[in-house]
Amino acid sequence: MSLVQISGLKKHFDTVRAVDGVDLDISEGEFLVILGPSGCGKTTLMRMIAGLEKPTEGAIAIGGADVTALPPRKRGVSMVFQSYALYPHMNVFNNIAFPLRAQRREKKLDKRMIRQKVESTARLLEIDMLLDRRPRQLSGGQRQRVAIARAMVTQPAVLLLDEPLSNLDAKLRANARDELKDFQRSSNITAVFVTHDQIEAMGLGDRIVVMSEGKIQQIGSPQHIYDDPANEFVATFLGSPSMNILSVDGCRFGFRPEHFLPKTLSDKPENSRLFHYYVKRVEYLGSDRLVYGYVQDHEDELTLAKVPSNVRASLDVESDYEFAVRDSDIKYFDKQTGLRIPAPKRSEVTYS
Amino acid sequence: MSLRLPAFPFDNRRVVGALFLAPALLYILLIVGFPFLLAIAFGFSDVTVGNTDLNFVGFRNFEAVWDNAIFRQVFETTIRFTLISQVFILLFANILAIIFTQDFTGKWFARFIFILPWATPVSLAMIGWLWMLDTKYSPIDYLLLQTGFLGPGGILSKDRNLFWLASPDLAQISVIFVQVWRMTPLATVILMAGLSSIPTDILDQAEVDGSRFMRTLLLIKLPLILPIMVIALLFSMITMFGDMTVVYVLTRGGPVDYTRVLGLYSFQVGIEGGNLAQGAAISLFAFPLLLAMAIFMLRTASRAEVR
Amino acid sequence: MGLLSWILTNFWALLVIALLALVGARIAWRILKYGATRDELRYVLRRSPFYLLVLTFCFFAIAPFLIMFLHTFKTDGDLYRRPQPFIFRQDPTIEHLDALFNNTAYLDFIRNSIVVGIAVVIITLVLSLPAAYALARLTGRWGERAGILMFLVYLVPPTLLFIPMFRIVVLLGLKDSPLALIVVYPSFTVPFSMWLLQGFFKAVPPELEEAALVDGYNRVEAFLRVVLPLSLPGIISTVVFTFTLTLHEFIYGLVFIADTSQRTLSVGVPTELILGDVYFWQPLLAAALIIAIPVGLAYNLFLDSLVQGFTMGAVKG
Repeated sequence: MSLVQISGLKKHFDTVRAVDGVDLDISEGEFLVILGPSGCGKTTLMRMIAGLEKPTEGAIAIGGADVTALPPRKRGVSMVFQSYALYPHMNVFNNIAFPLRAQRREKKLDKRMIRQKVESTARLLEIDMLLDRRPRQLSGGQRQRVAIARAMVTQPAVLLLDEPLSNLDAKLRANARDELKDFQRSSNITAVFVTHDQIEAMGLGDRIVVMSEGKIQQIGSPQHIYDDPANEFVATFLGSPSMNILSVDGCRFGFRPEHFLPKTLSDKPENSRLFHYYVKRVEYLGSDRLVYGYVQDHEDELTLAKVPSNVRASLDVESDYEFAVRDSDIKYFDKQTGLRIPAPKRSEVTYS
Repeated sequence: MSLRLPAFPFDNRRVVGALFLAPALLYILLIVGFPFLLAIAFGFSDVTVGNTDLNFVGFRNFEAVWDNAIFRQVFETTIRFTLISQVFILLFANILAIIFTQDFTGKWFARFIFILPWATPVSLAMIGWLWMLDTKYSPIDYLLLQTGFLGPGGILSKDRNLFWLASPDLAQISVIFVQVWRMTPLATVILMAGLSSIPTDILDQAEVDGSRFMRTLLLIKLPLILPIMVIALLFSMITMFGDMTVVYVLTRGGPVDYTRVLGLYSFQVGIEGGNLAQGAAISLFAFPLLLAMAIFMLRTASRAEVR
Repeated sequence: MGLLSWILTNFWALLVIALLALVGARIAWRILKYGATRDELRYVLRRSPFYLLVLTFCFFAIAPFLIMFLHTFKTDGDLYRRPQPFIFRQDPTIEHLDALFNNTAYLDFIRNSIVVGIAVVIITLVLSLPAAYALARLTGRWGERAGILMFLVYLVPPTLLFIPMFRIVVLLGLKDSPLALIVVYPSFTVPFSMWLLQGFFKAVPPELEEAALVDGYNRVEAFLRVVLPLSLPGIISTVVFTFTLTLHEFIYGLVFIADTSQRTLSVGVPTELILGDVYFWQPLLAAALIIAIPVGLAYNLFLDSLVQGFTMGAVKG
């Protein structure tokens, strides 16, 4: 039974279609990541779940009840903002207690219970020694914990997180990511996490929703959307460097740089496509070599290969090589719609 | 920053900074600093409009002013008017700032109307109020008369008029009301600046946290704009404390001395009465108070900001 | 005149009808957009106290101006005999407007105010543009202190300074000349506009000037070619508010200038249009209203810009 059900959701700002027909079910206890480039409508979608934005069309149900017309406080959701939005004039205790106090009548809370709840949530997030501090006296990581504690203290049905890691520096971020995942798992809360960072999305999400231009492009586990992209957008948006796409008369086909290897390394050349590959430039990235070059007959389309550094294959610049991709690693897309299509019969496509 | 060496003085940040700042600073020192020192010199002299020699007379002027019962009353009236009007100005300005930071139909026109009292030159706006509060023809009295509050059997008075500017109590109330009327827009605009600088994230967060309008207002918005509120208060208190235009046009200090304020008194003694020395001494009495007020409020504001 | 007279005689009815029509049109528009549902009705009911509050405040703000407007066109008989301030018992007349412009020094006041205003705006800009830029970008701690000093100077009320300034003006032989005002008014317009301009300059990204410096311009050129054009909207609103500050000023104008033909609007109208005890009410009220409307419009137009400059100026850094 899904906890959150979103159907036919649209949000138009004047002529801009920020969210343009989204259907989405979120199950209880899952960590759902909404991934997309900036301006794809992911934050608008989340704000509509929170109740901060009124949908132009469509409906949202939480726990089986239609909440489309309800204000945020009646939805049982809480949210962590990108800026953490801590109240600067209140200490940590009062920040965390704020939602409890605001809802004390609905939840029948007295002073003692509020204190208890704040303290236990603070202990859970290991910020119980910071309760007297003001937000400006905290480090970035501490602020994030306070924001999460404030969001968790009301035991919401859904926790919404709007890029909460983007204000941390790179080193803290990896750490915070792990903690967030552990925390979500142990508390078993339903979390919706918005990000434009695919590494974050892959690392955190039980499922990932890829969005673009206000529409959902694909929903699936991280591995599923990486290995089995539904369309060209998902295929190229995920992965770094992104998938090579080549056009042939009938369709477009793509393969990831890490699957594009010298023929000598290919274990089953009979199940592979072979390419004449002109190497123009090689970058050493430590564990990998990033090769820039052109496939014969596609001299206007830069094609990349990612070759592990530990395999012995000499790659000289401005030289021709034979490269191979396994058939199963090649994805085909419709030229007009960009949608995945099944592999055409070998005779229909001519390779070089 | 610059790839070239600062061979030319126009490249040096400090030199250009000093050059840019100097003319304004000098002008202000000349046009404010010098008269200010002169005011102090006048206060200790016996200068008049007719006799312009500066003879040092010690604290005689200040003593004479302080011993003057009228001055004491004027001083007290000024402080009372300032304090009472601030309460109402802050109250109305807060309400109006909240109204005008929201979206509603007809906002542009409503804003134009509510700005008018502040936009109109004070002395000209006072002409309007002079008529509104006229002893005989006051439109307010007319309304009260028609609704039965005035005239035979009226609750407020048996007379046909309230004599707004002629009765001591009503004259004081009128002056305070008019000051509130004309200064609320300025305080409102300053508070609007404060309200619109609160990050939307904070307000969204409060909404998600389940906070309703009044709670968000009292616990989030007002504490966050407190420093700016202090600045608004500072502005309107000092403007009001030094103002003489309102009473000059409306009452000339009357009836008797009930609405005479410091600025007007100093004008009447110093310019109209020709006793420059005493006039200067009178206005100098306001200075320590103004300075203390400004320093106190600026410190409060900056402390609230640092927190 | 026919139309004006019709509007005036039916003023209150027209005002009520216009208000009701606006409210009706607004509700009709919402019903067309969202449908006449119960929710819609509830929305309208929930919003109405808010609008009532706005209307109440507006009424208090505009009351004296409405009276000014109506009385401008009243004949003496209508004004003084059997007073009825709100309606016209005799036909509206423009003879008082005519008298205001032709028989009084009103046009002189307007001219003096404009001359003084423009001269002061020019002096203020010349002094405060570079100074504000220095405060915003070039100077460090001591610049900040100079800025606070300027702010304090702005708070020194004219009632404290007018007596010594009067002496100086007399000594310089500037008494009864608008030149006295032109010299003295920058004492409050310069601190004010410095404070405002500093906020606008801070809003210009410093990288743009740095790019100009790297491109081979010096600091002064960078200021003239990059910062000034980019902050033009802010400068315009500073000009507007500086001009209106000079328009508002009363005390210096009253003390320094006794000659009728040299007085400015704010002093001339309340002193010269009153002969002893005799108030020429219609021209007086008209004179006030004619100034109030354009200044009010200008304020409303540039208010957002003022608020922005104020906020930026208040932000430290």
